[in-house]
Amino acid sequence: MKLDHFETTILFALVSSVILGLVTKKTDEERLRYGLYCFGCFMAALFGIGWAMRLLHG
Amino acid sequence: MPANAVTEAPTAPLKSPILLIPLAWFVPGAGHFLLGRKGRAAIVFATVLVTFLVGAAMRGPLFHPVDNGDVLSRLIQFGGYLGDMASGIFYFAAVFLGYGPLDVAGYAPDYGAKFIVAAGLLNILAVVDAYEICTRQKD
Repeated sequence: MKLDHFETTILFALVSSVILGLVTKKTDEERLRYGLYCFGCFMAALFGIGWAMRLLHG
Repeated sequence: MPANAVTEAPTAPLKSPILLIPLAWFVPGAGHFLLGRKGRAAIVFATVLVTFLVGAAMRGPLFHPVDNGDVLSRLIQFGGYLGDMASGIFYFAAVFLGYGPLDVAGYAPDYGAKFIVAAGLLNILAVVDAYEICTRQKD
C-alpha cells in the first residue's frame, strides 16, 4: 500500500482520535466531541506545520 | 437499616484486574467486552486492527532488541519492540505467520513501522481505560 504523506497523516489522526475520544470522556456525546476536537487539533497541526515548513524552506 | 443511613457506592472491582488486564492486552477490546462495554470493545478491536494492518500493508518492519550499536539505537529498538508487542495477538500472529518485509528504500516502510507501534500504544490506552472501568474509577 502506497499512501502519500498527507493521506498517512490523515489516517493516523483518525485512528488516534477515535481511541483518544473513546478512553477519555464519560458519555457518548462527550466522547464524540472530544474525538472530533482531537481530529481538528491534528489537522490544525498538520496544516500549520506543513505551511511553516513550506514558508521556512522557501 | 436506620432511616438516615447513607448508601455508599460499591468500591469492589467489577472483575479481577489480574485476569482482565493481560486479556485486554492480548486481545484488543477484550477488557471492555468482559466489562459489558461491547460497543467500545468493537471500536477498540477494529481501530487497533486497522492501524496494525495499515502498518503491515505499508511493509513496516517489526522492531527487535539488539545487543550492538549505541545506547540510543538500542533504546529505540527496544522501545519499538515493546510498542510492537503491545498490539497483543496481532503482533504474535504476524510473527507466527513469518511477517518480515524486505528492507526497501522509501518513506512508506518508515510510516508502516510507526503505525505498527501506534497500534500497540492505542491498545495500551484501551487497557488503561478497561482497568479504570474495572476498578470503578470511571464508568
